[in-house]
Amino acid sequence: MKRFVLACLLVGVTLSAQAANDEDGWQILQKAAVAARALSYQGIFVCQSGQNTKSVQIKHYFDGQNEFGHNVVLDGSPREVLSQGGDLVIYNQKNEKIVIEKRRGQNMFPAILPTNLDLVKASYSVRTGDTERVANREALILFLEPKDNLRYSYRFWIDKEYGLILKSVMFNGRNQMMDSIAFNQLNLLNTVDLDWFKPRIDSKKSYVMEDEVPTKADNNVSPHWTLKELPAGYRKVDQMIRMVHGKSFPVTHVIFSDGLASVSLFIEPIAKGVKPRSGNSVVGNTSFYSSVAGYLQITALGEVPEATVAQIANAVVFIK
Amino acid sequence: MTEQISALADDEIALKDAEHLIAAMQTNGHAAEVWGRYHLIGDVMRGTATLSPGFKQNLMHKIELEPTVLAPNAGWMNQAQTHQQSAEITSKTPVTWSIAASFAAVMVVGWMLLQTQVTDTMAPVVVAQAVVTKQAPALPIEAEQAIPDDYLMAHRASAPTASSYYIQSASYSE
Repeated sequence: MKRFVLACLLVGVTLSAQAANDEDGWQILQKAAVAARALSYQGIFVCQSGQNTKSVQIKHYFDGQNEFGHNVVLDGSPREVLSQGGDLVIYNQKNEKIVIEKRRGQNMFPAILPTNLDLVKASYSVRTGDTERVANREALILFLEPKDNLRYSYRFWIDKEYGLILKSVMFNGRNQMMDSIAFNQLNLLNTVDLDWFKPRIDSKKSYVMEDEVPTKADNNVSPHWTLKELPAGYRKVDQMIRMVHGKSFPVTHVIFSDGLASVSLFIEPIAKGVKPRSGNSVVGNTSFYSSVAGYLQITALGEVPEATVAQIANAVVFIK
Repeated sequence: MTEQISALADDEIALKDAEHLIAAMQTNGHAAEVWGRYHLIGDVMRGTATLSPGFKQNLMHKIELEPTVLAPNAGWMNQAQTHQQSAEITSKTPVTWSIAASFAAVMVVGWMLLQTQVTDTMAPVVVAQAVVTKQAPALPIEAEQAIPDDYLMAHRASAPTASSYYIQSASYSE
């Protein structure tokens, strides 16, 4: 009996230690999400996706109310991203012109985690690991592992002093690296001026605004389709009507997210004379699935496993 | 003017007194639109909707199911042509030839009819197929493996990953 009580006690202690570890892990991630937005810093990070690698110089400033960011791509074709809060302006060299693009920004490194982690907590578990040096700084490794096979896993290296994410790597189910971003140089920014918050204008080039792809928010329930059960943990976060290049009529674009990964679902009627498409593939970190539901062409893609895009595409039900 | 059109729509003005209104509606687009709208309002208020719900959808669906059978028309056209040709032949040739030609023409026409009948008997098969596959669109489904670039760009513009701000898809012209 004594032994049994002892065993119970031990199990209890281990479990609560595990829970404390989890809770600590989530707190560290929460702090990282806030630190990326509320600290002022500058440095260089390297971003790797598939065969592509780009170094990026970053400056981020928070004046207590607003965030200002200036990211310059140092390799290959010149590209600059200026951000103020969630509004982005991208200066992108295309041939002899600089094309100015406007975007909504949300998860720019190192602010890749949402400040509200509830959705992430529902689908992933967290585990703390060893300490490692990244960009000449001490970092704690955190493993963010999916609770099912509908999403990829992540490994984060968190700066022990600043709380910032220094390095983030995404792995697929076979533990192959899909995507990685890592600082190789980082300093806190001790400045209050914003002289640097402007693009590097090249007076010899002509600057043009991008042909904006018309999109509009779509809150209407379609009479032609509905969504049945979505894969666990994924929520609809946005729906819009947009023009897709090469299509003469607008396409419905629905975005789903589990808090970290996103999937785009495109729904459009199959025009007369257009061949319906069906297929699936994985290219780099992106999975793709297309199918036909009644008279609708369904296309789903995202940085998630194949099963997830397939389930989302198959959740579309054509209403007769 | 619009009040008068409204009154006419409600039968409050006699038709013989409304000649100027009818003339106006024929020439003036706005007046015609008002006339149409008052009738629509009237129909809705009386609850006498003329079309069933989902009328357009059902109609388009039924049109989609209709098979396109071109063969009978082509058959009749050929038949008419054969008659014309045989008439030309009789005017130029001796009687015996014309008998032979007529016989040949009858043969051709008979063969044509036979063909047409064959096509006619084929038609129900086509209809049956169309009914069975009513969910699938008319064209065969094309297999695809590559991610269509336009969709990938739309995805990256609206749901970017941390690296897609800096690394574009391969076909993005730099």
